[in-house]
Amino acid sequence: MPPKRKAAPSAAKGEAKAGRTSRMSTPGAATPRSLDDTGDDAEDEPVVGDEELQRELDKNIDIFSVDKYKKKHTVREPMPHIFGNNDYSYLDLKKDHQNRPLWIDPQKGRIILESFNPLAEQAQDFLVTIAEPLSRPTFMHEYALTTHSLYAAVSVGLSPSDIISTLDRFLKTPLPEEIRNFITNCTQSYGKVKLVLKNTKYFVESPDPDVLQLLLKDPIIGPLRVQHGDQELTTEAAPKIGALVIPGTGAAKGVTQTSDQQLGDHGEAPKEKDVFATLNEDDDDEQDVTHAFEIADKDVETVQKQCLLLNYPVLEEYDFRRDEVNANLEIDLRPGTQIRPYQEKSLSKMFGNGRAKSGLIVLPCGAGKTLVGITAACTIKKGVIVLCTSSMSVVQWRLEFLKWSNINPEDIVAFTSDNKGSMFTGSTGIVVTTYSMLTQAGQRSYDADKMMKFLTNREWGLMLLDEVHVVPANIFRRVTSSIKSHSKLGLTATLLREDDKISDLNFLIGPKLFEANWMELSKQGHIARVQCAEVWCPMPTEFYDEYLKAPARKKQLLYIMNPRKFQACQYLINYHEARGDKIIVFADNVYALKKYAFKLGRAFIYGGTPQAERLKVLDNFQKNPELNTLFLSKIGDTSLDLPEATCLIQISSHYGSRRQEAQRLGRILRAKRRNDEGFNAFFYSLVSKDTQEVYFSSKRQAFLVDQGYAFKVITQLANMENTPDLAFSTPAERRELLQTVLVDNETAEDDEIDDDLFHRGKKGKKKGTRRTAGTLGELSGGQDMAYIERNKKVNQALKKGKGKQESHSFFKKIGRENARRAVQ
Amino acid sequence: MPRAIRGVLVECDPAIKSIIVNIDSDNHDYIIEELDEERVVIKENMVAALKAKLEERLAENHPDDESGSE
Repeated sequence: MPPKRKAAPSAAKGEAKAGRTSRMSTPGAATPRSLDDTGDDAEDEPVVGDEELQRELDKNIDIFSVDKYKKKHTVREPMPHIFGNNDYSYLDLKKDHQNRPLWIDPQKGRIILESFNPLAEQAQDFLVTIAEPLSRPTFMHEYALTTHSLYAAVSVGLSPSDIISTLDRFLKTPLPEEIRNFITNCTQSYGKVKLVLKNTKYFVESPDPDVLQLLLKDPIIGPLRVQHGDQELTTEAAPKIGALVIPGTGAAKGVTQTSDQQLGDHGEAPKEKDVFATLNEDDDDEQDVTHAFEIADKDVETVQKQCLLLNYPVLEEYDFRRDEVNANLEIDLRPGTQIRPYQEKSLSKMFGNGRAKSGLIVLPCGAGKTLVGITAACTIKKGVIVLCTSSMSVVQWRLEFLKWSNINPEDIVAFTSDNKGSMFTGSTGIVVTTYSMLTQAGQRSYDADKMMKFLTNREWGLMLLDEVHVVPANIFRRVTSSIKSHSKLGLTATLLREDDKISDLNFLIGPKLFEANWMELSKQGHIARVQCAEVWCPMPTEFYDEYLKAPARKKQLLYIMNPRKFQACQYLINYHEARGDKIIVFADNVYALKKYAFKLGRAFIYGGTPQAERLKVLDNFQKNPELNTLFLSKIGDTSLDLPEATCLIQISSHYGSRRQEAQRLGRILRAKRRNDEGFNAFFYSLVSKDTQEVYFSSKRQAFLVDQGYAFKVITQLANMENTPDLAFSTPAERRELLQTVLVDNETAEDDEIDDDLFHRGKKGKKKGTRRTAGTLGELSGGQDMAYIERNKKVNQALKKGKGKQESHSFFKKIGRENARRAVQ
Repeated sequence: MPRAIRGVLVECDPAIKSIIVNIDSDNHDYIIEELDEERVVIKENMVAALKAKLEERLAENHPDDESGSE
């Protein structure tokens, strides 16, 4: 690496590598910033930077909103009483409009797709690339043309003219002028500047030398350029997809790995059926040369920010095939592994021009996100760091890597609080860890500290971010600032948050590269077909009276403990158990969870269940035909893989969280039996009528409805009254329940997630003793009271049952003999 | 001497009746007589006010019920 500008000559050599990772050791003053930078304030710095970045983003987004392109149009026959301001009759229908599948709203940039049109499939492929899917029910799909989506389109190699001409081809009307301008303007500046890591040096690259000159004239970016003695820009041939083959795809068959080294060879490019694939290749031929200048590692963020201000957002790319500094990793998909068509499509977006782009891939739960990640790792073949949300996922990721690829088990290391000493022996490898391990503030153990140093002191080819939607921006920035990776791939099922932080990800990681259509996958049998239903349970009058009087907290408990809901739950469990389904019942509220589970005599797991018991119960749920129903609190929402489960009942939930609803649905999407003829999984959401729950429920469903799921409303469960042993069937029982609910208020707490289903949090909460007034006579049973345990824990019974089964064969034999003797 | 009050018979769902009773419990100025789970007699001059209050209560369950595809 050449000496940095202004760096002290004595310190120039050998410091280059250190300077990249630790600002403290940067010699001299390359930027004013590194002077007053100390290790102490490094921790709160990202937060400030976040706000700053956000403000800049907002400013930038304003410039690029569709509103700016609004125009006045003359309407021949104005009918404002019907259409208001949305009269688009000036857009004449084309003569053959019936054969074209798209409508467009020129004001908002919304595109409506008729999904029953014969051309719909082609149009959909195209739309997924250039626009964001908003809603995809059966017949009409809605997409939004946004800056981010166009940015993503450009980053996979589409040019503005391609987008405009293809859009025009599918539209029923001529392309409105506003939209045309919007597309041209957005795409002009987006994607013009790329940040490329080549041989560990950062280059700012562009096909247009004028843009680079413009950037260099900028007072901030100009001085950051690394000087090579001459002022010329580096010029070289533009990259092409060439012979890059994503393993596991159809094209990978028969292609030997050696061809990976050859560039510019069009012969073996994977065949894509997409409409625009051919356009894409033409595009490559036109852009023959790219121009670049080098910048120092530590200035990357500054340059990125400044480029954003200049309206030239930077795309990050990694030319991994020409990276000779980082050792190659011996990894390949196992022979015979075939990835599914949609996985292939998502990866082809990532490796669009033979380089690795950073971005997000959105696939439903259970649709093989892990395999996408692994295939990406097998394509890049460099050091990989995988970040997940919990220590259980760490274990799962590691196992999946071993299952799908031929990686040497010693080369893949888990870094968690239980396992922090080991390190791979080869020159490079895969590290699987959690977000919290990397961002943990404060003192670490010696081993963990050593590991962290190891992680931060080297370069990684790929950073895989699992469940990326959960990561707040500031944590994420801390991760990316400490770990140097060439490309980042975010994986998620539900790219949504109730706060509007999702758009941050577009800039922190990259654009959304691919989003799968849930309905399509379930039609193809990759995920289970699900029937969704909302069951309305009326509140009995006495409960409703209390509900109206109660404070907010109590209200929640009352509508959860609604006896009719209880009965509905019991009825559904009985019904589905009789059908042979395995049922998971979700309740956020632990108090309710316990009440339900005790009353209905079923096993349950919540935050306070000891580890061994959890595993036992889960094991039984999977294998024991006697145990078909499992009550779970919030801890089961994510990262729980129970392919046996085929039915899901939700009795209480976290207000209006769409993500929770989608994640819970995800528990049954991977149902083992999904490919059976006519198989359906069931998702019930129990809602107390006339309460806030109705509103929350409709809010929660929004995401799934947008994915094309239809919720049936069940107002009455037939023959529910005839259920044997129906809970709370008499008014007296109901009153008793109401009294208990009102009295037991203080114990009703939501389950707090310490970790996840498989690892109990460390803090063992102990409840204080409870003191109640009473007479001695009462306690001794003198007042006609006797102790009898009615609501026994099923979990414990399981344990005993299990113990009996596992007795040694020798004792079994003795038992049998004894029995025989007794008979004789 | 017997006293007469003009009243209106309201027939509704048990849930709505609960809400009416709850509204009444502040000042006891609506209800004349509660008949059963689904019937209640209220003062004639308070019907409009009760309707308004009831609408308000019902809207509470749907804080932002605006239309649109957002």
